[in-house]
Amino acid sequence: MTAVVQASAPAVTGLVVQRGFLARLIRRPMGAIGLGMLVVAVLVAIFAAFLAPYNPYVHPHVTIEDVYQPPTAAHLLGTDDGGNDVLSALIYGARVSLIVGFAASLMTVLIGGTIGLVAGYRGGWVSTVLMRFTDFTLVIPDLALQIVIVAIVGPSLLIIILVIGGLGWTSAARLVRSQTLSVRERMFVLRARAIGAGDLHIVWRHVLPQILPLMLATMVLAVSLAILAESSLAFIGLGDPTVISWGQMLNFAFSRGAVSAGAWWALLPPGLAIVWVVLGTTLLGTALEDVLNPRLKRHHLERDRSVRVTEPEGMSWLRAEPARKDAPLLRVRGLTVEFDSPAGPQRAVHDASFDVRRGETLGLVGESACGKTTTVLGLLRLLPPGGSVTAGQVLFDGEDLMALPESDLRAVRGKRASIVFQGAMNALNPVHPVGDQVAEVIRIHEPEVGRKVAEQRARELLERVGIGRRRYGDYPHAYSGGMRQRAMIAIALACRPDLIVADEPTTALDVMIQAQILELLGGLSREFGMATILVTHDLGVVAQVCDRVVVMYGGRVVEDSPTPRLFADPQHPYTRLLLASFPDVLHPERPLQSIPGSPPRLDAMPPGCPFAPRCPAAFDRCSTIKPPAYDLGDGRRAACLLVEPSHTPPEAVHG
Amino acid sequence: MRGRGAYLAAKIGWALLTLALVIIFNFVLFRILPGDPARSVAHDPRISPETVAALTARFGLDKPLFFNFSGGNPFDSQFFAYVGQLAQGDLGVSYNFRDRPVVNMLGDGMVNTLWLILPANVLAIIIGTLAGLVAAWRRGTAIDAGALAIGLILWAVPTFFMGIILLFLGAAWFDLPTGGRQTIGAQYAGFWDAAYDLGRHLLMPTLTFTLVLLGEYLLIMRSSVVEVFSEDYILTAKAKGLSTFRVIRDHALRNAMLPMVTVIALNLGFIVSGAIQIESVFSWPGLGQLTVNAVRERDYPVLQGAFLLLAVAVVLANLAAELLYGWLDPRVREA
Amino acid sequence: MAERPVAQENPVLVADDLVMQFAGHRSFVDVVRRRPTPPINAVAGVSFTVAPGEVLALVGESGCGKTTTANLLMGLLTPTGGHVTLHGHKISGRSRGELATMRREMQMIFQDPYESLNPRMQVADVVAEPLRVHHVASSPADERARVVRALTQAGLTPAEVYLHRYPFQLSGGQRQRVVAASALALEPRVLIADEPVSMLDVSIRAEILNLLRSLATSQRIAVVMITHDLSTVAAYADRIAVMYLGRIVEIGHAKRILADPQHPYTRALLSVVPAPDPASRRRPQVLAGETPDPARIPSGCRFHPRCPVAIERCRTDDPALIPIGEDHAAACVLVEGGRRLPPAPGATAS
Repeated sequence: MTAVVQASAPAVTGLVVQRGFLARLIRRPMGAIGLGMLVVAVLVAIFAAFLAPYNPYVHPHVTIEDVYQPPTAAHLLGTDDGGNDVLSALIYGARVSLIVGFAASLMTVLIGGTIGLVAGYRGGWVSTVLMRFTDFTLVIPDLALQIVIVAIVGPSLLIIILVIGGLGWTSAARLVRSQTLSVRERMFVLRARAIGAGDLHIVWRHVLPQILPLMLATMVLAVSLAILAESSLAFIGLGDPTVISWGQMLNFAFSRGAVSAGAWWALLPPGLAIVWVVLGTTLLGTALEDVLNPRLKRHHLERDRSVRVTEPEGMSWLRAEPARKDAPLLRVRGLTVEFDSPAGPQRAVHDASFDVRRGETLGLVGESACGKTTTVLGLLRLLPPGGSVTAGQVLFDGEDLMALPESDLRAVRGKRASIVFQGAMNALNPVHPVGDQVAEVIRIHEPEVGRKVAEQRARELLERVGIGRRRYGDYPHAYSGGMRQRAMIAIALACRPDLIVADEPTTALDVMIQAQILELLGGLSREFGMATILVTHDLGVVAQVCDRVVVMYGGRVVEDSPTPRLFADPQHPYTRLLLASFPDVLHPERPLQSIPGSPPRLDAMPPGCPFAPRCPAAFDRCSTIKPPAYDLGDGRRAACLLVEPSHTPPEAVHG
Repeated sequence: MRGRGAYLAAKIGWALLTLALVIIFNFVLFRILPGDPARSVAHDPRISPETVAALTARFGLDKPLFFNFSGGNPFDSQFFAYVGQLAQGDLGVSYNFRDRPVVNMLGDGMVNTLWLILPANVLAIIIGTLAGLVAAWRRGTAIDAGALAIGLILWAVPTFFMGIILLFLGAAWFDLPTGGRQTIGAQYAGFWDAAYDLGRHLLMPTLTFTLVLLGEYLLIMRSSVVEVFSEDYILTAKAKGLSTFRVIRDHALRNAMLPMVTVIALNLGFIVSGAIQIESVFSWPGLGQLTVNAVRERDYPVLQGAFLLLAVAVVLANLAAELLYGWLDPRVREA
Repeated sequence: MAERPVAQENPVLVADDLVMQFAGHRSFVDVVRRRPTPPINAVAGVSFTVAPGEVLALVGESGCGKTTTANLLMGLLTPTGGHVTLHGHKISGRSRGELATMRREMQMIFQDPYESLNPRMQVADVVAEPLRVHHVASSPADERARVVRALTQAGLTPAEVYLHRYPFQLSGGQRQRVVAASALALEPRVLIADEPVSMLDVSIRAEILNLLRSLATSQRIAVVMITHDLSTVAAYADRIAVMYLGRIVEIGHAKRILADPQHPYTRALLSVVPAPDPASRRRPQVLAGETPDPARIPSGCRFHPRCPVAIERCRTDDPALIPIGEDHAAACVLVEGGRRLPPAPGATAS
């Protein structure tokens, strides 16, 4: 599933290239706003002397009338309890907050980062000891301890910084440790060890560059926490009395009657200033985290936008077929699927058409980015977020699934047509027993069946797929990969659907288990009379199990044929080359061909025939015209200009 | 089942170890820090030697710190005297309020702080998780943006500032009291009269605390839910034909709550610091107020006791959270 | 003691009765009840040799111990028993400093081309890294020359074009070539390729496999290929060693084994590998169950619980590799004393 999702965001692969980093940060509203707010605060702090109308460290002679004066032209924010200008104090106060904030957060990240790195990299007892130490530090009530130390040792700026930094490193340590742990297991680190690199080299060249960016984001967020901590201390009266800080302004104002005097100008500005800086750093830190660790922010439960936009384009198949009794169960016509991406909508599947008859097993074959998974997900409108069907009909038993409202479609899903996804590792909910998840399907679609009966049937299903009824109550993490896949099959079969779609059901499994599962699917298909769509890249599987084959390339159907004829007499050059590149355990001496180049990416689809750049038989028209799937009679189609019915093949351009 | 027992045993074991470390740390901290009146008195040349001797004997200052190696009972030291006292529930007496047992003072303060913390926390959890859920579900829409903005701003406002604002507004607009737990010198007609007075005093502090916590819970729930909603098993649930409501209720909610449990527990250390700030602003006679006053007056026994109490509460809360997590997440139980 | 198969002249790499035992997982209750934890026997006596210019395929399903064996060969793990010999020098159990020279002779290619490369390093740095770690180059110009040579050997020409690219700018096949180039930079005598093509598209696998094959032949490099894909093995390996639960069950000349496997496991495996030929008439022998947990290895012959032709003896006897003819050995009691397994009905296509 990840491959499909990545197709919708091709430029994003979790990598960072130094150039363009700042630009990407700014492009995010949070990043731009946060950075702006922070820059303003820093500038105010630096140029305080020029900006402030008065010097708050110089106390002019004041009388009682000057105390708590509301804002006037002379004092834009009024005066405080000592008759001094609030605005000037506010401006100078920025210095303390920012200095403490940055210094403490630097300390936090240095301590926490080192501890986390060492714990994560060394592991073993070193890690245990360090993490227990971290947990212990977390338990200590930080503000209480800070209060105690500052009160007793003395409230100087240095002590405050040390105390805030000395207790705040724990979350940084945890973060860095978990990051280091995951980086340590990455293959390029293993490779470095295989080369013979020492720990120092590995940490310096491989681990540190990966975790440094996240440490930067953590540091920015730590600034906001440090500023909050400093202002809290100051408010309680433990701020450094020799400097002005916002917390202190609030302390004086509050404890010297600003509330009863109604002097909101002495209370509001310092508080708002704190909010300004904290908010700015939080926004910036969050945006940084986002840029450095882009996670897909869309999810499966967003509003369904898979609405058909246009009529099926391109006459790649006969439009109107009279309804016959032996009509195919599934008729796909002109299915087109697009994905959102920063570079605009991208077409993953274009004008796909094929039939599936009752009881038939259809193989959908192709390599990466050919659109096979997207096609089958689109059939039941289960596309990942950002994907939508923009054209086509999917006639299932006469009904167009694309035109059904979501509520009616739900009656089809799981009951008359079900799907087994690729990679069952995470496809089961980890907090429910597997048996319950199988029984759930039954209870949704056959609500009249009671809980007991549903559980009974689920146990039988588990037995039937080879897991055994005794493992009903186990959780998914107790199942092996093969068993999880079987459980997914059990779920898909629970309501005896007419059609089952299996997306690469055995790709991650051992060949013996693959054989077991294919045997199971085949047996069940015969027993229940189910039609099957088997998505795979393995031509051997196709040859053994499928009645028909549809070959896809570059988002299009390039060949559609009954299995024996496809292998005996392939019509499309891609099919021919694919067959030639596939190893045959029965004929090991046959040399394998490879196709130079690689399958096109979604954002780099060639004009004309998608295979033209790699095709040895391509000629001039191939790079300008997208060939439709020509009907070759005998239930065979191929989308290649070379088999155009009225066509005389010219000389090939490149061989 | 075996896994669950082992998990429980391990967690409780570590909690006990942490408690032991906390006690040691507490002891050492207040011995190291200068300014202990009892000890400074002992070094004061102006006090008569007899008084010094009496004070030294009373506070056990002549005993060694940790272990006594001068023959006899090796546990005859200041530390073990302290531990012994703890075991009997004796936290000493306050320096300030002569002969008032620290335990009693802490008890009263604790009750008041709980009045402040608990309702606010519960409210914040309920509102925050619901709002976070809705925001994540409607990710990318105006609702989400609005919730995110509110959450961030609430998070960014310092607790004491929030308190000041609400105090101000409460007094100015609603004529609410500006501090304390009950009106001074009030005569109550009955239970409801007293309850009403308490409520008026409790309203703004609780509201403050709720808002402060709300922001954080909203943000965390929101990101947790988005994470869960993008998991493969949600797609499986959809493929089964479940309605969106049932997918959320039966599959997403429990998984999304797991990180919340951790956060709520971890938060307890910070809730205490928030309580200190709110109690300062509203003059609420709770544990926080007690601590701040004890710092000002250098009332070491009270400080030591309060500190210990706070730390122990955090350890217990963390333990409870880990046990709860183990109950909710079957994966964790297998060692 | 496993009997070694026919020794070859001047093998460059020798694995001698390698054993790798991992400590089993002890739960708290085990400690309390003083229950001994069963160790995990990932590798239980593996021996083979590889000659220069030869491609040996280590084949097996998950849990058979092939990856652990690869790590043992590379010195990334220290074997619990047995040793690895390179150019006649024992290399197991040596310190990292002593291993440094060995590292230059033996390099590894990994499975995932998308993960094997540090996404922040340019191609030139990736290929130069082993040179820098071992201080091989005498000057920056020398280093660059070696890098270019390695890239060219790996088929990335013109090399200069690729020097400053980042991995995300390369296709899967190109990345795998970069990994190969970085392995070749030190001019090793042995290459260990761990599932080198399983994550690549089918149509580009052949070029990487052809590359490995040509490196073996032209540079006389010994290649050990770890894979689960018997079809690939068929086309590219000179010799095969089939592994099951930490042991080699059959070893020898590739074509001979593929044509006439003499271990029941190998037979079953070959019969279920799907072949792209709809007309083939094979009767697949689908074994029941899954490979047992390496912490709970069956008594007697490891394979007997799943073996379609197991006899009573198999429950108690744990056969060593028995030589059957030239460069072919199988660990099965049924091939003792010159007997052979009866040809299965319709086992392979004619």
